[in-house]
Amino acid sequence: MAQGSTSFPDLPAWLAAQLRGWAASDGERLIFVARSAFAAFLALWIAFRLGLDSPGTAMTTTFILALPSSGMVLEKAFYRLLGTMVGCAAALLLIALFPQQAPLLLAGLSLWVGLCTAGAALHRNQQSYSFVLAGYTACMIAVPALEHPAGVFAAAVTRATEVGLGVIVAAVVHDVLFPRAHGRQVQRTVQARYDSFLAFCRQLLDGQLTPAQAELAHLRFAADIAALESGRAAAFFETGHARGHTRQLHAFNGAFMAALTTFYTLHRLRHRADPVSPVPALAAPLHAVLADALDGRNAAALEQLPAQLAPAAAAARAALAAHTGLAPGTVIDAETAIELAERCATQLAAFATVYGGLARNERQQVSEPQAYAPKTPPGIVLASGARAAFALLASATLWYWLAWGQLATSLVMTTVFCALASSSPRPTAMVKQVMTGFLLATPLTFATEFLLVIRASDFAMLVLAALPLFALALWLMTDPKRAGIGIGMAMFSSQFVAPVNLMRYDAMGMVNGMLAQIAGVLLAWVIFAVLLPGHTMGNRAHVRAALWREASATCRRRLGHQGGARLRHRFDNRVRDLLSQLNAAAGPTPPAATRAVVREGLTLLELGHAVIELRVLLAAPTDGPVPAALRTALARLAAYLRAPVAGTNAAAAAATVTALLDAGTAIRTALADGRCEPARAARLRTALADLHAIYTSLLDQADDTLDPTGAHHAA
Amino acid sequence: MPRELSIVGILIPTILPVFLGCLLLQGVLDRVLTHAGVYRRLWHPALARLCLLVCIVGGATAWLYR
Repeated sequence: MAQGSTSFPDLPAWLAAQLRGWAASDGERLIFVARSAFAAFLALWIAFRLGLDSPGTAMTTTFILALPSSGMVLEKAFYRLLGTMVGCAAALLLIALFPQQAPLLLAGLSLWVGLCTAGAALHRNQQSYSFVLAGYTACMIAVPALEHPAGVFAAAVTRATEVGLGVIVAAVVHDVLFPRAHGRQVQRTVQARYDSFLAFCRQLLDGQLTPAQAELAHLRFAADIAALESGRAAAFFETGHARGHTRQLHAFNGAFMAALTTFYTLHRLRHRADPVSPVPALAAPLHAVLADALDGRNAAALEQLPAQLAPAAAAARAALAAHTGLAPGTVIDAETAIELAERCATQLAAFATVYGGLARNERQQVSEPQAYAPKTPPGIVLASGARAAFALLASATLWYWLAWGQLATSLVMTTVFCALASSSPRPTAMVKQVMTGFLLATPLTFATEFLLVIRASDFAMLVLAALPLFALALWLMTDPKRAGIGIGMAMFSSQFVAPVNLMRYDAMGMVNGMLAQIAGVLLAWVIFAVLLPGHTMGNRAHVRAALWREASATCRRRLGHQGGARLRHRFDNRVRDLLSQLNAAAGPTPPAATRAVVREGLTLLELGHAVIELRVLLAAPTDGPVPAALRTALARLAAYLRAPVAGTNAAAAAATVTALLDAGTAIRTALADGRCEPARAARLRTALADLHAIYTSLLDQADDTLDPTGAHHAA
Repeated sequence: MPRELSIVGILIPTILPVFLGCLLLQGVLDRVLTHAGVYRRLWHPALARLCLLVCIVGGATAWLYR
């Protein structure tokens, strides 16, 4: 009894908690299903009322646009409309150029589709969806028009109208009916990233992190950077998303990348440090200040970090000066460590300031930061384009040879999936999922059509008849592991269940159409499995080559007039983007080979930053032994970076190391001279630290090809 | 106003360019309202934005076809 009376008042609270839990998980999914189904039937109804030619297209569009948050829907809707318009225009142009000349038209079409798919593979964001659509819309309109070129304009107008209707309905419904704002999700991502980065820095300073763990963390952070950028792009379309916010998010990503790179260097320095030398003891108080500030979990404390660190840094410098009889290498090590700690503090403070502005939702004056732009290595882009063009040619040949009228549908399907899957790291798995959806939907669609829809006498009945099938497909779409199956089911069934204005129940025609669609997807799968199967997103060899290219680009590209800030930011962007591609392809547990590429990439990141800094120092046209020696070293380094194949570049590496040693000697003689003014001495010291960074990175890089003990320390 | 416009021989319903123009106007208004912080005070900003668009398009068509 007593127990009952104590637990009774908890019942409402318990119920409320349960309900909240349900609403956050299954409730969200149900709302998504209801919203998407409502959009689909609304589009269908409007299409009927307007008497459009194939109302199914409008409904299919709403299924394709069924995404979890309103920002994502609006973004995809916009790019879908854009792509459809361009595709229609391309189809009209192609038909006008080659009327009733099938071989020429198909060749032109395959060229167009190849170009569009390559463009889609290059961008990898929602803009790439426009490219995909421009490619396959042209195919959808031009192929059926081969026989009746006169009808092509009507076909293009119908397609554009129906897609436009579907896009408008989906955008309105998903934006207005129980919307889930993406802006809030971006806010949460920012918060989570800030927390996880601080935790990462704390672990790193505590020395808890093994190099392998740090590499994995870098992979994850690279994926986070890419995810935040795509989330920002989606939130841009939502109500109340201010321009200033976009700039702040760009600045957040930029500050994050800079801080991450510096902390990686710090991590490496600590790992390399010789325990018997006085360097760790000198740097320890600095690291303690950093760790202290990170522990406070107080953004205001972090913003004051450089000021807090200044006394410790001065003390460390004094202690270093007090030491006598140190080897020159050790002195440089210690100076680098102190400077690095200061740089960490500055960058953490910058990061915390940007984060604070975002978290408090206030406008900040952010200096024009560079946007993070995803870009794919050219080998993969070319392969995607070639694959799509070949797929279209192959299925067109089949179509001509077999003379099965329905094969035109199958040709379109092959093109659609070759284009869609080319931006996925595992295209065969994606196509397989969609095909599973198609196969599952085949009997269900057949049953729905000929048992239920056939008895429907009005629109309400039609909704009731078709709803179970669509609801199942939409429910599957909310499950991340089965999303592809759900999309396949929805796409497939909406094309066959949706009745046309003059209803025909043609079982043979339907089976024919179903077979053609499945055959088309099957062909796409075969092509992905057979044609250039290694050239997919995030392929290790391609990413590695691209990382080397980016590093060597730092030696060549123009510095600009902001002291190399643009170049540095661009380089950061590109390397992180390549790492995020690697992460997408590697899955949750990256193999050792992937981690090796990450390690190489991070070393190249360090190298590139040191190169940029050296180039900034050398920007003033001065002569003398020191600049000449530095220029030689840079030229050698550029030659080394141009030859990324292990083994062949050992000679280049050896030449670079010699040049670095010469430059180091030249600088030390200039410093020992004692005649240079303080500003120049500071510049020389920075140059020396950069040379040191390049030297150690090179030794790490070429551990097997060079003997690291022989030449220890001279730079 | 004519119901359809003839642009290089292609007949386009007048309402289409009107709608596109309204979308542009809405975009400009959107930016202004966001900057002024109006959307942050509303219960359902997306609905307000949609209603605004409906008002603009409705007003424009009513004015054109009066």
